[in-house]
Amino acid sequence: MSVALEASRVTTPHDRRTTTIGAIMIGLGLFIAVVFGLVVPSWAHSQLTFDPINTAVHAPWHLGALTVETRWTDTLLGLVAVALGVEVVLRHPRRAMSRFGATSILFLLALLLWASRTSGPATVNFVDLTAVLVGSSSLAMVLIYGSLSGVLCERAGVVNIAIEGQFIAGAFLGSMIESVTNNFWLATLAGALAGAFFGWILAFLALRYMSDQIIVGVVIVTLLAALSSYLNLQVLTPYPQFNLGNLAPNLAIPLLYKIPVLGPVLFNQTGFFYFAIVLIAVISFGLFRTRWGLRVRAVGEHPKAAESVGINVVATRYRNVIMGGAVAGIGGVSFMATQGQFQPGYTSGFGYIALAALIFGRWTPSGAVVASVLFGISSYLAGNLQGYSVPIPTEILGMFPYLITIAVVAGLIGRVRPPAADGVPYQRS
Amino acid sequence: MRVELREITKRFGSFTANDSISLTVEPGQIHCLLGENGAGKSTLMNVVFGLLHPDHGEILLDGEPVRFANSGEAVRRGIGMVHQHFMLVPVFSVAENVVLGFEPTKSLNRLDHDKARREIRELSERYGLDVDPDAVVETLPVGIQQRVEILKALSHDARLLILDEPTAVLTPQEIDALMGIMRSLAAAGTSILFITHKLKEVRAVADVITVIRQGRVIDSVSPETSEPDLAALMVGRSVSLTVAKDAVEVGGSSLELRDVVVRDDRGLVAVDHVSLSVREGEIVALAGVQGNGQTELAEAIAGMRHVESGQIVLGGRDITNRSPREILDEGLGHVPEDRHRDGLVLSMSISDNLVLNTPRRAPFARRGTRQLSAVADNARDLVQRFDIRTTGIDASASSLSGGNQQKVIVARELSRPLVAFMASQPTRGLDVGSIEYVHRQIVAERNAGRGVLIISSELDEVLALGDRIAVMYAGRITGVVDSSTSREDIGLLMAGAGREH
Amino acid sequence: MSTESITTAPRASWWRRLYTQSPTLLAGLAIALGIVVGAFVIIFTSPVVLRSWRHIFSSGGAILSALKITVDNVGAAYRAMFTGSVISPTLLWHSLTTGHGWTTTLTPLSETLTYATPLLIASIGVGIAFQTGIFNIGANGQAQMGGIGGAAVGSMIHVPMVIHLPLTLLAGILGGVLVGLVPGLLKAYTGAHEVIVTLMFNYVVAAFLIFSVLSTALQQPGQSNDISRTIDASAQLPPLFGVASGLRVSYGIFVAAAVIVFAWWFLERSSLGFEFRVTGQNPQAARASGISPRFIIIAVFCVSGGLAGLAGTVQMQSTTHYIDGGFLIGNAGIGFTAITVALLGRNKPVGIMWGALLFAALGVGGRAMQAATGIPLDLATIIQSFVVLLVATPVMITEIFRLRNVETQRIQLATQGWGS
Repeated sequence: MSVALEASRVTTPHDRRTTTIGAIMIGLGLFIAVVFGLVVPSWAHSQLTFDPINTAVHAPWHLGALTVETRWTDTLLGLVAVALGVEVVLRHPRRAMSRFGATSILFLLALLLWASRTSGPATVNFVDLTAVLVGSSSLAMVLIYGSLSGVLCERAGVVNIAIEGQFIAGAFLGSMIESVTNNFWLATLAGALAGAFFGWILAFLALRYMSDQIIVGVVIVTLLAALSSYLNLQVLTPYPQFNLGNLAPNLAIPLLYKIPVLGPVLFNQTGFFYFAIVLIAVISFGLFRTRWGLRVRAVGEHPKAAESVGINVVATRYRNVIMGGAVAGIGGVSFMATQGQFQPGYTSGFGYIALAALIFGRWTPSGAVVASVLFGISSYLAGNLQGYSVPIPTEILGMFPYLITIAVVAGLIGRVRPPAADGVPYQRS
Repeated sequence: MRVELREITKRFGSFTANDSISLTVEPGQIHCLLGENGAGKSTLMNVVFGLLHPDHGEILLDGEPVRFANSGEAVRRGIGMVHQHFMLVPVFSVAENVVLGFEPTKSLNRLDHDKARREIRELSERYGLDVDPDAVVETLPVGIQQRVEILKALSHDARLLILDEPTAVLTPQEIDALMGIMRSLAAAGTSILFITHKLKEVRAVADVITVIRQGRVIDSVSPETSEPDLAALMVGRSVSLTVAKDAVEVGGSSLELRDVVVRDDRGLVAVDHVSLSVREGEIVALAGVQGNGQTELAEAIAGMRHVESGQIVLGGRDITNRSPREILDEGLGHVPEDRHRDGLVLSMSISDNLVLNTPRRAPFARRGTRQLSAVADNARDLVQRFDIRTTGIDASASSLSGGNQQKVIVARELSRPLVAFMASQPTRGLDVGSIEYVHRQIVAERNAGRGVLIISSELDEVLALGDRIAVMYAGRITGVVDSSTSREDIGLLMAGAGREH
Repeated sequence: MSTESITTAPRASWWRRLYTQSPTLLAGLAIALGIVVGAFVIIFTSPVVLRSWRHIFSSGGAILSALKITVDNVGAAYRAMFTGSVISPTLLWHSLTTGHGWTTTLTPLSETLTYATPLLIASIGVGIAFQTGIFNIGANGQAQMGGIGGAAVGSMIHVPMVIHLPLTLLAGILGGVLVGLVPGLLKAYTGAHEVIVTLMFNYVVAAFLIFSVLSTALQQPGQSNDISRTIDASAQLPPLFGVASGLRVSYGIFVAAAVIVFAWWFLERSSLGFEFRVTGQNPQAARASGISPRFIIIAVFCVSGGLAGLAGTVQMQSTTHYIDGGFLIGNAGIGFTAITVALLGRNKPVGIMWGALLFAALGVGGRAMQAATGIPLDLATIIQSFVVLLVATPVMITEIFRLRNVETQRIQLATQGWGS
């Protein structure tokens, strides 16, 4: 009695899109190979170093600098990118997005090598790989908090575009509490509460009054940006003792932190970094392995079905949005704890990049992490290439994360679907 | 289980959906709730199932009064419900759907998938409802999805099973099979509440029939009651169950499909080399269970879906893959399947809805500026001609009843000069009065010499309207037959029998 | 049914319409609540006020004096806001009796109009997009690009005013269209969600703005700062009462007036506007009715982006006559404010006009308040945000004020989800 429809596949828009992405990757690869590679004179060399910046404390096992011939190294990097592109065009792999991400990192690395070559334009003529990764990791960490917040909210069917606002709230309150108590535990708690409060506001307006979630989210961001700027002038400026901007101490994990490159990046970090790792595991496990996760996903996909088996849709959404707010609030504290003193507007759109990372990562915790790492690296590099006097204006490089995000949303979203009821207000029967 | 409802009243604002309804279902009884669309059947069932709370009255299970805070409690008390719109999460597996809300778990709240699978296999065997527990629901055909929905309803030792309009997505043979299941469940002691508006089904399976009209119980009758009597009880007046049709001279080709191939949203072939000809002055009714490609075919004819190969000809002119606007201008009248989604802008006024697809045409616009007086004149004229019951032409379309909304669409389409007229599920969800009205309009259009294509999954409608009946199954036309063909034979075609290879 | 019974009902009297017409009433109540919330923000952040409340139990009169201090402080702030954005009664009296000092008296009003002009234009662009079901968060970037376009044409070519002025305005529109077109094309052809794309474009254009004002072509000669050339006098929108008047309000208000008239005609009377609205209310029905969704999406981004671009160049042509790296970024940025204005005005041109005047007054008055009382002008944005949260949640207002029979209409745009 079953209906067996012909299952032959055709070129769907997704496939065509994937092909376009592959073509862009090949183009990028050729550009790297030719402009950064083949055109460079053969005598030019680039130097990669692996020592962390603060060698005095926690010195790792030493690894010597590596000098490579710029021409062939970049040509090789370019060819790897071309190969990845060809694979995407021919095989339409499921993870085309991450391959595109890898290509963008290759591009930035090749650019770095090229800029720091002998008698190149740069004032610094080496690339400190460890410094790049350490710098990127703290940005990635903030994005992970933000995108995990998004996972919690959107899996339950509520769009949280207010992540940026929860960052601001967390950073502001975190800085104040830390300055007063000199205790990062309390600061984290305060930031989590602040984020949770604004999560509750979003949930309250979206669930009780069924307001448009995007509008409410955007207005919460505007409100918090203004409020924090207001309080900054009224409170923090006259009383600088409330905004000391202490950085969280690094907690080195014995022995492991000595591993070259990986040690400083993964095992000599602040508590916030380790907590983010724990959070990834917990949310991943919870969402896909437990009863709680099954119910949350049911609420985000088909709230009526969930209601019909006795799951309280509204309560589930409240819980998740408040939890998501708390996670983003902690993200704000972590930003403050790694970047220093609170200033109005200093989260500069990170909340929105986290949102993009969530979409890029197909609404899964693991995907969001991969995307956060990619965006973290590209943000860091774009922000720090100035030292290399790359002949591309820094403003243009500053667009990089945003342009990648647009490319991702437009082209690479591919075969993913958001939770079916994401952003749709729920009304009982 | 003995279920007793005592004076259940449920209001939505000023509207009373259930007005002190009382009825009793004995153990092992199949109790039919018969009523028109909008009579309040589904509301009553949602009350029984704990999805809605009654404003007044009480529910007794085996003599004990109960009050459910949510439907989870109803399930725990042995009530299972098969919903009209399936309550299944499309991206979940069958097992995940069946256990949702009552999941077996291991330590750390982990889901016990093995146990869930075992439970489903057991249930499948016990009730003879075969289904793969690991299949993802959205990949299953509608008939199988309903099987999952039934399994889910039975999975907690249900002693009262509520079936809300379960036959809409089934072929006549599948309906027979479902009734067999219902009888065997009843024989084993399960009480069944069966909700429908189809008279034949009621008479075939019910032990007791309770008729509901405008939120009140009208009468309880035995299944021996004749169809016209049941219809009269349901509607409140005597109803003619057939449509009067005079013989009309059939003319040349009006709408013709030649080897049309269309794919659905997932890229699968939904319409598989369909050829069909509708001539002037005839109604061709396209029958078939929902989800066999009719929706995609209608969309392709209206220009809303890409035609991969083949040709669609309207009045001798090729309209294959032309834009919806061009096809409208060529003279296709189209009543879409889902009137709220495709047919109307509910928040806009009736007069705007009546020019929805002709806003740029004279006299409704001149040089890019709308001529509101012409729009209003048109609305006043059509409201009167098509007997649209409204407080005024500036009232929003959402203020109209379902029947009057459909009249707005029919009026809009028939007021344009047409070559052919296509209506998808033209009477779905309408009350009997509106159904009669729409049917008369459709026949009048045919009598005026237009070709008419009706796409319907209601077999009664197909038989009543069609001069010729084409049956669609799995994207193909399995047969084009005469309107005198028996229900059973058409049912076989709907299930794919007689399919030529 | 007779023909008579289906004609339009006679119009109710104006006060009855005002009361029952929920948008106006609800907006008014939202504004009132916003001002109350603003007062509480002032109270809780003013040391003087807080100190006075700490001692209310010390003596019998303390509570009265605390109340007085509170009212004085809040009153001073709001008075400064009012006199700084509308008119000061004392100055008005002075001018009326002596006939002098009109410049000082009218400056607040002139400033409010000056700020309202570009805000109104941009908000109408956002409102038209809203009516089409499109959420254009990118008005900021579009307006900045409009400013860049206007500054380039205004400073680089030199022709008589009759050509130069319209050409500069056109360049601004084109700049906005250009930035708006990208998200439009992406949404139309790939289904990319416009909220994300326009949001990201704000950052892209902000970077491009700095790049462009630092480029040799546009940078002010002899400067190393991020500041552009000054446009020719022939490209400027001159002050309405002449340069000698000292009032900045310019001929730009006629541009804004023209935009209001155009938007009203477009939305209420034009066929294309009708198709926009049909698409906004029900995209599937629009498609079934022969309206091409792609065309509408691209068209609405052109209209919306073009108006934002026009707003940017009008701002530049009527006030500074040059742009710098911080162009239109102040407060929440013109783009975000435009969203709030459009929501407050229910996306209707006339409603938006009142909304823009109000929020411009808040902004201008906020500046005066900061100068007079030291309370940061961010208070204006805080009040705005509250007003819009309330406007977006009409049911809450009806509950707070226990209104009966007031029809509320929910704004809802996000039903499409994020994916393609």
